[in-house]
Amino acid sequence: MPANIPSSFFEWVSFLLDKYGALFFKGTVVTLEVALTGTVFGFLLGLIVAIVRTIPLSKKSRAKRIALHVCRFLLGAYIEVFRGTPMIVQSMVIYYGLMQVGVKMPVLAAAIFIVSINTGAYMAEIIRGGIISVDKGQKEATVALGMTHWQGMVHVVLPQAVRNIMPSIGNEFVVNIKDSSVLNVISVGELFFMSKSAAGAYLRYFEVFFITACIYLVLTFSVTRLLRLMEKKMDGQDHYTIYGSQSDSKSSITVQEGGQV
Amino acid sequence: MKPILEISHLEKRFGDHLVLKDINFQVDQGEVICVIGSSGSGKSTMLRCINFLEEPTGGRILYHGKDAATEWRRTEYNAKVGMVFQSFNLFSNMSVLENCVAGQMYVLKTPRKEAEEKAVYFLEKVGMGQYRYAKPAQLSGGQKQRVAIARALCMEPEILLFDEPTSALDPEMVGEVLGVMQKLAASGMTMLIVTHEMSFARDVAQRVLFMDGGIILEDAKPAELFTNPKQERTKEFLQRVIARQL
Ligand SMILES: Nc1ncnc2c1ncn2[C@@H]1O[C@H](COP(=O)(O)OP(=O)(O)O)[C@@H](O)[C@H]1O
Ligand SMILES: [Mg+2]
Repeated sequence: MPANIPSSFFEWVSFLLDKYGALFFKGTVVTLEVALTGTVFGFLLGLIVAIVRTIPLSKKSRAKRIALHVCRFLLGAYIEVFRGTPMIVQSMVIYYGLMQVGVKMPVLAAAIFIVSINTGAYMAEIIRGGIISVDKGQKEATVALGMTHWQGMVHVVLPQAVRNIMPSIGNEFVVNIKDSSVLNVISVGELFFMSKSAAGAYLRYFEVFFITACIYLVLTFSVTRLLRLMEKKMDGQDHYTIYGSQSDSKSSITVQEGGQV
Repeated sequence: MKPILEISHLEKRFGDHLVLKDINFQVDQGEVICVIGSSGSGKSTMLRCINFLEEPTGGRILYHGKDAATEWRRTEYNAKVGMVFQSFNLFSNMSVLENCVAGQMYVLKTPRKEAEEKAVYFLEKVGMGQYRYAKPAQLSGGQKQRVAIARALCMEPEILLFDEPTSALDPEMVGEVLGVMQKLAASGMTMLIVTHEMSFARDVAQRVLFMDGGIILEDAKPAELFTNPKQERTKEFLQRVIARQL
């Protein structure tokens, strides 16, 4: 027990911050690490799943068609299972399931693995929605130019799909920052887990979790802003430069969107 | 001289809806052919079957005497048979220049520098050179369609298909697009044009096809078809359309 016991809410907060600052910091780092890598891997996983689910059925090869059907069925099952069960349950099943068959994963790796496949299932549907929402005519134009399905996807459809779903990707990231807290059930040292141990020592649950809530809020708020900035950057300029008749670039005129020429 | 395209007994059904019954015609080098007919008669479906955006359910398309479905590589064939869409279909994630460069680089494997030079050349031809750095969303309909034509030309196609290229345009922009197409026709480009612009068909086309009920009901020189149509259905259609256009 401290020599002079804090007596007010604010005294407790500053006392706990002083004493457990490093713990909070470590927990925050782990939370961000798990949420960020989980979102990135989840995005890549979802991208692959969505791409496979939107491959057109081959008219020529029967074998390819059947293989694709099987693939789609399995991927569909993966999505249903991981969207249809809570991540907290998935963590238990995967972590302890692996342990029973003799695989002891490091908890951080397990955490990233679980968040990634969970996010992947959501991302797959988000990205598929993004792909479907891209104007079909543009995909047809790629075919009419002689591009293959892949070229059309890579150069025209996916860039637009990904841009359109940036808000949803950001949302998944925010969800992961918050929901990685359930990983405390497998003892991942993320922010919630660290907070619990900090709270236990003096039984100051309210003060500790008040601090924890503030940290989560700062994290999610800054991530949201950052992603908004990224979207702006992706959109590029809202004006373009008329290619001047004089080769001197300073003589070119800049036109605002919707402006008359 | 052998025709570029020979279409015989082309059939297309969607489920049990038989849209194209039996389409037969040929396209010779340098010919400008306009296709007219009422809405829903299958004009778009025919063009889309010719470049396999829709898979035909019957008949054959010969390109230089070889079956386009089996003896040509699909991508190679599509690069040679260009298409201009009613709704432009420019790639909205790319600048005007990139739109014209993409096909050359990814399909024809042209080096970027050369592809850009060609893109600029054709953009200048359609009067859009100075907009090379604009995005499609920043252009008017007529400008978009001119870029779409330049994009198709960059592939150096042997024949260009147009599906109502001016139907989505405001009236004052129709002229600029038809002007470009007229110049193209004069330069010897082979073109198959679905259009409702009867005066363009009359003045520019060497042949006009009238489509009705999934077949080509009449195939004649414009002077003949417009002044002295043989079929009753053609007469009715022309009366309706010309009354509307005047
Ligand atoms: N993908 C499709 N599925 C089912 N029916 C279609 C499809 N595309 C076109 N059709 C039908 O084919 C007929 C001809 O359409 P279309 O070729 O667009 O006519 P046009 O271009 O002459 O106006 C219409 O009745 C239309 O409903
Ligand atoms: Mg049509």
